[in-house]
Amino acid sequence: MKLKKCIYIVITILFVTAFYTYSQEDSHPTIDNTVFENPQRTQALFDHDSHNEKAELEDDCSICHHVYENKKLIKDESSEDSLCSECHFLKATPENSVPLRMAFHNRCKECHFESNKGPVLCGECHIRK
Amino acid sequence: MHAFINFIMGPMVWISFLIFFLGVIFRLYKMFRLVNKTENFIYSYMSWKYSLRSIFAWLTPFLPVSTRKRPVFWGVSYVFHVLLFLLPIFLLSHVVLFEESMQWSWFSLSDSVADILTIFVILALIFFAIRRITIPEVKFLTRMSDFLFILIAALPFITGFLAYHQFFAYQYLLIAHVISGELMLILIPFTRFFHMFMAPFTRAYMGSEFGNVRHAKDW
Repeated sequence: MKLKKCIYIVITILFVTAFYTYSQEDSHPTIDNTVFENPQRTQALFDHDSHNEKAELEDDCSICHHVYENKKLIKDESSEDSLCSECHFLKATPENSVPLRMAFHNRCKECHFESNKGPVLCGECHIRK
Repeated sequence: MHAFINFIMGPMVWISFLIFFLGVIFRLYKMFRLVNKTENFIYSYMSWKYSLRSIFAWLTPFLPVSTRKRPVFWGVSYVFHVLLFLLPIFLLSHVVLFEESMQWSWFSLSDSVADILTIFVILALIFFAIRRITIPEVKFLTRMSDFLFILIAALPFITGFLAYHQFFAYQYLLIAHVISGELMLILIPFTRFFHMFMAPFTRAYMGSEFGNVRHAKDW
């Protein structure tokens, strides 16, 4: 009886995980990580437009696309025409102390923790295929 | 959930380290106080030379005779103990999290290397558990708490491995990983995990007694 029960449980688990694996879409938009050398994790999931709609950012681009001059935030100016990696380098420099990976991580996590919404754990953005 | 995650991955990490360090200091203070109170005669033969000689002899893999008599057990034990430190300290995810809160980072292992080393650690702990069940003289000395401590040491590695692979229940596994790691850190000073700090003192004592009193090697 016990063995039968175990077999049923195992079969159920196999079915559920198989279903779960195959039902996942793999066409999610991601952040381009080609600038990193030998990245260890998968590209982070990020759908720009649907994120901003959900987060109700409306047209305030400068929340993420900020502009700093002489290490001071310039209010009401935005930088959506440039890449993050144009200012945030792979390693911290005297001009910019926030390296690219940290810029990405902190930009996402700080807002998500503050608003109690959105992914904050490694594998919630870097999903294994 | 966000506030809880923020707490266990933020303040709780520093609380755990604080308990760990204060606990270690407290335990060492208690040990020295006890020695001074009840057996301060040992200072008459304690020696730096014989202490350090014994510590280094036992730190050198397969130098002591008894380690050569049980090469498999000691081989597994050496690998396990080295990885127990190397893996958490040089794991990329840990280094990244530390860097993001303290602006300070160091060398890290690649994820695929760390993944394989984690399996080594888990297998070593399974080996220790099986050894306690199968070898009669070890079984005789084994209590339930021995298995509990093997489990506590294994949990951060098992949950870390499962979470990294994102097999199932990722969020809960990662939370379990963080909490089990903090639990281990907090328990170190107050359980037999404390042998990591006690070992040099045990060796110093044995080395001094063997060197200065018995005029013999203790390895």
